[in-house]
Amino acid sequence: MTQADDRLKVLFAQDEPPARDAAFSTAVMEQVMRRRFREDVAVLSGVSVVGAGAMWFVWPTLQTALVAVSQGLAPALGAVVLAFCATMILSGGRPAAALGLGS
Amino acid sequence: MSPASLDEALVAAAQGGSAEAFSRLVERHQQAVRAFLRRACGDWSAADDLAQETFLAAWSRIGRLKAGASVRAWLCGIGYNKHLTAVRSASRERARGQAYEDDREVTLDAPAEDKIALEKAMAELPAEQRACVALCLAADFSHAEAAEALDMPLGTVKSHISRGRARLLLALGVCDDAS
Repeated sequence: MTQADDRLKVLFAQDEPPARDAAFSTAVMEQVMRRRFREDVAVLSGVSVVGAGAMWFVWPTLQTALVAVSQGLAPALGAVVLAFCATMILSGGRPAAALGLGS
Repeated sequence: MSPASLDEALVAAAQGGSAEAFSRLVERHQQAVRAFLRRACGDWSAADDLAQETFLAAWSRIGRLKAGASVRAWLCGIGYNKHLTAVRSASRERARGQAYEDDREVTLDAPAEDKIALEKAMAELPAEQRACVALCLAADFSHAEAAEALDMPLGTVKSHISRGRARLLLALGVCDDAS
């Protein structure tokens, strides 16, 4: 490296931000978490809308079937709900991850 | 653990959805990205905004980063594209202009004349030349790393650096002892 390059480097170094800047990192992560929250809300809303639509569509059939098998179905349904809740908790409470929709 | 392998481990964790790992990547690379953008656009306030946008875009695209790729070059590449988009928006440039002038009074250190001459000369360089100079002369990027970050051929990067360096030295009145 030449003396001219050294001089340029010294002058450029005056623009250098600090090696650690908690305010900057926090601002970035705040935006990241906000985006993540919006994605989670969008996934949950989508799942809810699709679930509600499906339920509306199959309800006439389902209702009859449910009445017929309700006594035997209740424990199995409880187990499925429990398994879903456990998956949600183990995946860090992130709905997209629990539903296998990526990170 | 070497810096490169630490980066690789953090990228793998972030690709798995770890916000904590991504936060450490932000901490490790914020200085390089912000310094590059400050030099590339000359406007500190706009540069820091662009740096935040860069990291936000990086979070969305982290899954596309290949194993073993330079994180610093990848981030600077995203930042450079954001800078070019911002440059095309003339209204944004005008809005930031006053903020930059206000900032300059606070941030300039001695020797002020040289610093002002350097900033003026940098401002007069074409955007590509300026980005190459900011990466290779100011931030110790290799020519190959800068070519990767800026998505330019290696020969173009070398030529931009050579021309940019000559113009900066001329503006500073420094004798080029390499030639």
